[in-house]
Amino acid sequence: MKPLIMVIICALLLVSYVVPTDSAAARVANAPNKTGKTGNSSRRASVAVVRLVEQLEVSCGKCHNPESRAGGLDLKSLPVDLSVPGTRAQWVGIHDRIERREMPPDQSSLTDAGRQQLLAGLRNWLLPTERAEILVNGRGPMRRLNRDEYEQNLRDLLHLPDLDIRDMLPEDRESRHFNKVSETLDTSRVQLTAWLDAAETALRQAMATGDRPSPVRLQKAFGDQLSVGRETTGGREAMFWIRDSIGIDLAAEKKAAPKGAPPDPTIEMALFRSPGWPYGIFPKGVVAPAAGNYRVRFAARAVLQQPGFRVIPASDSVPMTFRSRRPTNHDIAEDVRSTGGNIDILPSGGIYETTVHLAAGQTIEYGMLGLPVPQPDVKGMTAEYRFPPFPAGGQPGVAFKWLEMEGPLPPATWPSPSWKVLFDDLVPGGESRQPVVDARRLLRRFIANAARGLVPDESIAGFERLVQRRLASGRPLTEALLTGYQAFLSSELFVYLPEPVGESDHYAIANRLSHLFTDSRPDNHLLALARQKQLRDATVLRRETERLIASDKFSRFVDHFTDSWLDLRNLRRDDPDIRFYPEYRLDDFLTESAGLETRAFFTAMVRENLPAVNVVTSDFTWVNERLARHYGLPHVSGAALRKVSLPAGSPYGGLLTQAAILKVSANGTSTSPVLRGVWVMDRLMGEPPPPPPPGVPAVEPDIRGARTIRELLALHTKSASCAACHARFDSVGLALENFDVLGGWRTRYRGLENGERVSGIDRTGHDFSYTLAGTVDASGRLPDGRRFNDIHELKKLLAANPRQLARNLLHQFTLYATGVPVRFSDRDEIEAILDACAKDQYRLRDLLIALTQSRIFLGPKGCR
Amino acid sequence: MKNSPTIITRRAVLRGLGVSLALPALESLNPVAARSAQSTLPRRMLVIVNNIGVLVGRLTPTTAGRDYQPTPLLSILSEHRQDFTVFSGLSHPGVSGGHSTDNCFLTSARGAFKASFRNTISLDQLAADHIGHLTRYPSLNLGVNIEKANRSLSWTRDGVLLPAEDSAKALFQRLFVRGDQAAVEAQLRRLDERGSILDTLLAETRRYSRRISSSDRSRLDQYLTSVREVETRLQTARQWESRPLPEPHPTSARTPNGLSPTSEMPGEITEDRRFFEKFELMLRMAELAFESDSTRIVTLMLDAFRTPVFQVADQQKSTDSYHGLSHHGHDPVKVAQLEAADRRNMKILSDLIGRLAAKNEGNQRLLDQTMVLFGSNMGDANIHDNTNLPIILAGGGFDHGQHLAFRKDNNTPLSNLFVTMLQRLGIESDRFGSSTGTLTGLRMT
Repeated sequence: MKPLIMVIICALLLVSYVVPTDSAAARVANAPNKTGKTGNSSRRASVAVVRLVEQLEVSCGKCHNPESRAGGLDLKSLPVDLSVPGTRAQWVGIHDRIERREMPPDQSSLTDAGRQQLLAGLRNWLLPTERAEILVNGRGPMRRLNRDEYEQNLRDLLHLPDLDIRDMLPEDRESRHFNKVSETLDTSRVQLTAWLDAAETALRQAMATGDRPSPVRLQKAFGDQLSVGRETTGGREAMFWIRDSIGIDLAAEKKAAPKGAPPDPTIEMALFRSPGWPYGIFPKGVVAPAAGNYRVRFAARAVLQQPGFRVIPASDSVPMTFRSRRPTNHDIAEDVRSTGGNIDILPSGGIYETTVHLAAGQTIEYGMLGLPVPQPDVKGMTAEYRFPPFPAGGQPGVAFKWLEMEGPLPPATWPSPSWKVLFDDLVPGGESRQPVVDARRLLRRFIANAARGLVPDESIAGFERLVQRRLASGRPLTEALLTGYQAFLSSELFVYLPEPVGESDHYAIANRLSHLFTDSRPDNHLLALARQKQLRDATVLRRETERLIASDKFSRFVDHFTDSWLDLRNLRRDDPDIRFYPEYRLDDFLTESAGLETRAFFTAMVRENLPAVNVVTSDFTWVNERLARHYGLPHVSGAALRKVSLPAGSPYGGLLTQAAILKVSANGTSTSPVLRGVWVMDRLMGEPPPPPPPGVPAVEPDIRGARTIRELLALHTKSASCAACHARFDSVGLALENFDVLGGWRTRYRGLENGERVSGIDRTGHDFSYTLAGTVDASGRLPDGRRFNDIHELKKLLAANPRQLARNLLHQFTLYATGVPVRFSDRDEIEAILDACAKDQYRLRDLLIALTQSRIFLGPKGCR
Repeated sequence: MKNSPTIITRRAVLRGLGVSLALPALESLNPVAARSAQSTLPRRMLVIVNNIGVLVGRLTPTTAGRDYQPTPLLSILSEHRQDFTVFSGLSHPGVSGGHSTDNCFLTSARGAFKASFRNTISLDQLAADHIGHLTRYPSLNLGVNIEKANRSLSWTRDGVLLPAEDSAKALFQRLFVRGDQAAVEAQLRRLDERGSILDTLLAETRRYSRRISSSDRSRLDQYLTSVREVETRLQTARQWESRPLPEPHPTSARTPNGLSPTSEMPGEITEDRRFFEKFELMLRMAELAFESDSTRIVTLMLDAFRTPVFQVADQQKSTDSYHGLSHHGHDPVKVAQLEAADRRNMKILSDLIGRLAAKNEGNQRLLDQTMVLFGSNMGDANIHDNTNLPIILAGGGFDHGQHLAFRKDNNTPLSNLFVTMLQRLGIESDRFGSSTGTLTGLRMT
């Protein structure tokens, strides 16, 4: 304890003109100074802080004193050492509550001038302290890669675009919905072990490309080989065999045919249901001999099933995809993934071609999109299954004639680029004549390639010692090198992203930019610019930002940003409750399309540089066949999304009312205006509800007697402590009550008991019966008093403040890009960006470019 | 061939395990070297946390002491009355913040609702530091429906989350399945390689730490700790690798390649709605781990908070998510479902106690060697209250059979119970987290 006392005494001497009996003054004096610089400025600040705390105690000390501790806050004991993040946050909180006029609660107890004086005092203390700290340390600590980034880095480094190691790494913790936040991306022994394992797996895969490429095989299926099973779950209507468009009895034909007769090329397999996971229909004997890409060609046509097992040409295309899976019967833990993209099969028929990615031993199942899905009953039996009633004109489906799969497609060159990253010109299987020299050369070469910046010589020497030791212990050169590579890919040099602090941190900027837009290492072009120290040149930086936004890899930003910001990663979380929503039962096509719509919309917002107001309203969106039906729009054909204009009066413009958003903000069974309101205010409006203050006794909700959701919400206004927060979000949620759990428009709630009964057979072949109950009332009043009758009017009100929409986007972008939330000292910068973007209605690409040019992004020695 | 789906039923899953469990597994275990060096039988700890909790009013008896009247929930445990203690008036001082406190249940760290919150070491990890080296796995950290990224009972010394295992199948594989001799040798070589990689990383990190800023240092310290910990565990792993794995099913036929037949493997339950079936299956896995002495410390978080609409019973589905139900607002429909869920929790706990009591280790009941703590971070989830937590401790060699009541208005630190539990594990410790001593009134036998 002695050194501490010395420090205190020294500090007291330094600020000796402060009266030591004053408690606030003593606290200021005791505050350790981390930078060790105790110049005049800090002395002046100390005096100012003493005065400031005294002023605060005058206005706020009546409640925030050691006895009352209102809201858990006692100004007397509140520390003033701003280098402690928690303390800093607390003082910023005090500033903000005074600024928002939430404190003091009795408005008359503080004059406007007094308020301004307090705010200026707080600001003049908080700002310089924070700026000084940022100048030394940067805005935040270095950030480790999350698992998406780690995988993408290795994919790009090793030229292994299909590398699959993400699931070997522990899920990353989230903070404020993002998994890119420095403070929560911790490192544990589990994490380190996972890095070692994942790096090893990736390196082994890269090395395996040195083996001679597997011979290319052509596998063909026609006739009854088009499916392993000759019939399937869900009645004969689900799948049957045809010749000249008329159903045949395949079993009888096979019985009658001589043994060993070749399959009959004149028959087609007609499929009318979606083999929903995990009930596969896949061709016989078409199996990948090795992992890799395969070219698939097949002949098919879209048909309509007529009664009596006949088909006629369809009137519209039928979408499908392939799914990679093992050719097993049923395995509940089977890994089934879509591959090869969506294909629209036309009524006129044709030969279709796509490329699929398969693991060794996998086959492709026919993934029919939007067709009925059979579902076993509660006993796990499908005996009760009835094919749902045909739509008018007949049941759409696809008739397949033949299919062939060729592969694995050989690499363009051999040895592959993956091998060359590891071993340059070493011949696979060959031996080095001078392993020690080669080890030195290849290790240095690999590190130079893999590092995203400069690696000091002494570090390289450490990894080289490891490789040479392994070599000396008798391991082959390639194995010894792999060990060294594995160590580098698990080292702090590789797994952390540095924060740009100094003038010369061009590599840190390059990495920040590439991890923002491509979730991965800077490409060679960007690295070259970092090497030439050009990234603080505003024109160069702007050009690079625009280049990355325009690149294919930009979809990684769209996917991961919307996964977090809009919670799209949980799009599949809650299956719609089939008791109320039989029409959505097992409708993966709809859910998947909804996610694609939101991503396409957001992509356009950035790439086409659309104004921020599109977050809440727009007169266009992206739909395919299924979504157009869902939104009640004019018919479009096929699974591919396209931009359409929304008719006047459509409620579906803007992110706010897209199906994906309305699904993730509900729970599959019911919608809650409270939860949806919080969701929207937090994510879209940037006004998250404040956490409940500690020490406030919880109010026990008692909802007995409330019959409608409105009566329930009315209870929130009864108690002042409920109303304080609920007023902020309940009303916005109410306006969304016209949308069901998947965003379908409704004017009445559905129930099981009261109301008009609706019954039928759902798309999985089961009976359903629900009731149409109470009428939806979507009117409400915002906290500021403005009223709205429905979602259209609410959108107008929300759209009236585009600056707040843009501010929220900037906050979200800042956190995603830098791993640190907008700090107190960043706020002026944010407002300056908003000022600059105001004249063009805060367009999204403008906002992103302005952010990348700011101190927030470039560090305290940034170029603005 | 007819494509008909296979649904793995709970019954089938449990039957598969039950066969193995019915055998006197403990007596025929491979004796591990560590145990032969010990004169006494191993002590174990299983902590189960349901992060929504139970309707505490229906759990806590109105009177304290040995003569308490069983409440509706406790009556489900009545046949084990002498084998458990029910507590009231326990909580972690200063731990508030509603649902975010599940991460603090085993740590007692304050301020979970703050942005600057940092957790501290959890009870199981502290215990593992002392007795973890005696078993192949220092501890197991399991979960049901758990949001792995953000929720866990187990936290390192740096306050870093250790992700839970939520797959029974993967766990079984880790515990009981291994390759042949060549595979073992390859694994030993791999561990050797790992060792030299870690040496390099340690030196490299030290070099790096000389040129970084103070805010980066705390991040790098985590990395450095991780390197050291992996290195320590590698030493243990090396020793264990050359020893045979225990068998969950001693009489089972081995396949020629030395792999256990996969039929012994538990089936995976993937549907979140089958919450209680997952709970039961994970308990079976914990028992297998104990019986094979693969570990002596197991935590299990039932992430009820993340559990959607679920099967309250085989034929009854809830109308709302577990969390939705917990904010019942005294709505009788919701309360009734919660009661049913609570009864199911108690029944599963009762069955577990029964099974542990029925098995012997040496001349002791396995139950007397195994502490089973069941509790929650929520005292009353309806109002997000984190005081007066529901806590039950069964087995482990205590003088049970009572309701130990502490003050409702001024709770006793739950960590006091944790100190007692540490001591029961043979760990000389007189404090943990916010403890003020051991727990008064709970005597070891």
